[in-house]
Amino acid sequence: MPAPTIAAPAALEIHESGDAALRVVATSGNAEADWATVHSLAGWLATADVDGVHGAVPTYDSVLVEFDPYLTSARQVRAFVLLAMRQLDFTGATVREPRRFEVPVVYGGSYGPDLDRVAAEQGMDAADVIARHTEKTYVIRCLGAPAGSPMMDGPDFPFPVPRLKDPRLSVPAGAVSVAGRQAVIAPATAPGGWCVIGQTPLTVLDATREPLVPYVPGDELRFHAIPEADFDSLAGQFLEARP
Amino acid sequence: MTGSLVILQPGHSVATDLGRTKGPAFGLPVNGALDQFSAKAANILAGNADNEPLLELTALDFRMRATTDLLIAVTGAPLDLKVGGRDCPQWEPVSVRAGETVAVRGIRTGLRAYIAVHGSFTVPTLLGSCAPDTVVGFGLKLIEGTELATQRTTAPITQPHYGLPLFRLGLTKPDFTTHPVIDVTDGPDVAEFGTTADLLFTSQYTVSPRSNHIGLRLGGALPERQLTSEVLSRGVPVGAIEVPSREELLVLHRGRGVTAGYPVLAVVTSRSLDVLAQARPGHTITFRKTTVADATATHRAACLELDRLRSTIQTVFGLLGIGAGERWHELSPASGS
Repeated sequence: MPAPTIAAPAALEIHESGDAALRVVATSGNAEADWATVHSLAGWLATADVDGVHGAVPTYDSVLVEFDPYLTSARQVRAFVLLAMRQLDFTGATVREPRRFEVPVVYGGSYGPDLDRVAAEQGMDAADVIARHTEKTYVIRCLGAPAGSPMMDGPDFPFPVPRLKDPRLSVPAGAVSVAGRQAVIAPATAPGGWCVIGQTPLTVLDATREPLVPYVPGDELRFHAIPEADFDSLAGQFLEARP
Repeated sequence: MTGSLVILQPGHSVATDLGRTKGPAFGLPVNGALDQFSAKAANILAGNADNEPLLELTALDFRMRATTDLLIAVTGAPLDLKVGGRDCPQWEPVSVRAGETVAVRGIRTGLRAYIAVHGSFTVPTLLGSCAPDTVVGFGLKLIEGTELATQRTTAPITQPHYGLPLFRLGLTKPDFTTHPVIDVTDGPDVAEFGTTADLLFTSQYTVSPRSNHIGLRLGGALPERQLTSEVLSRGVPVGAIEVPSREELLVLHRGRGVTAGYPVLAVVTSRSLDVLAQARPGHTITFRKTTVADATATHRAACLELDRLRSTIQTVFGLLGIGAGERWHELSPASGS
């Protein structure tokens, strides 16, 4: 029988975030390891079902842990997170086989009003931006705002994409956007400060079923360009994992 | 026996509860009653569990008709409450006879009021909560004629001396003011703002009309981030104060998107989030720095106040035979007797 491996807990910072939340940041410096750490921690907290702990929101290198400060406290939750880190097995974590999603996108024009500006900022032309955006297989890193948006490590652009100085009050469902070094699809119409480079005709969010969105962190996604003429014929179809 | 009520004038009202606490893990905001203290108090005063569905009214007048005898409680911002044409008190249980109209007019000083009905009512839920989510399009729409079925009906509690309040429960009501002081703790990213972070405590801020349940936008002197690097999207707490634009401060409330890429300057305390929920456009806000320990103590004091109210209500309602309250229990025989 092999001797059990004792893994040291990954480097961690815990920051106060008001009286009802803590921000836990993994600081190993390895993006993959930090992502795995915060998602394992969030999963552990979700199954532990601790009194007063509402849940956890893991993203890239951090997880927001929310709690009811009447039933527990920042101090107690902090101690609990440290305990969780000792309990977690980072050595043999079983990873679910990722599902794969294909997303058709109409780029530019009224579908992607920021495409040309993003291209100019990157010193590329619009076709290069589209090529970069479609050549990559993205890993869905986390579910974000609004409404369970699939947050992904962005295309390999030369520079980070600045967010809009003044966020839009309304960005349509299906908008395909980039910001910083991230990419995303908007499942629902909402305000947004990201640069919109295209739009998918597919419906991402179905409010009549749980879960509301078809993917989970760890799933994979690819974009492909479609002509504007194909938008209407695909509109209303649901985004489903490829068989 | 079940009862019901009919919405006559919805104004701007929703059926809600204390929020979708399981939502953020799935990328959905918590939402729910923005003034949690007033919402809990309303449910407690109506003899309900804290988290049962109730009505949240924002700013506008509201009327509903009871089709059966009901017991209700109205809390939140000061307003004029009439039941069957009689003036009735806020922050107390109120009997409504079948056919009578409940009218709320003149919500003032604050912005939001809550109406709880004994027995609550049956409404659709998502992830365990009926709270509307405007982004995913979930929530029961209240329009003229909407009928809500309540799970219980309550015979009127009569008061022989007309004009005297039926109950005097002695709850300390929150203060409502046009110049609220809001307690905040340092945000996890306060250092990124350098010395400009202090502007938050030396300036006054005016609530913009663009404010809503997602966040309040405040005009005033803006702290400025000293770094230009992009921030990875992170989970942000309700109450997070950000500076996303050059014009306004953004204070996230319960409808906030769960992740954002703006640094968090400060976080409003749980207790002060209830106060902010009552801030109207044009009101002037002053921020005051506190610690997580003090904020927790303040929140717990408010919860204990509600616990005392719950205990009083259970005794009173138990004696009056309302709902499933406590009854006299037979003492079991002492052992050895």
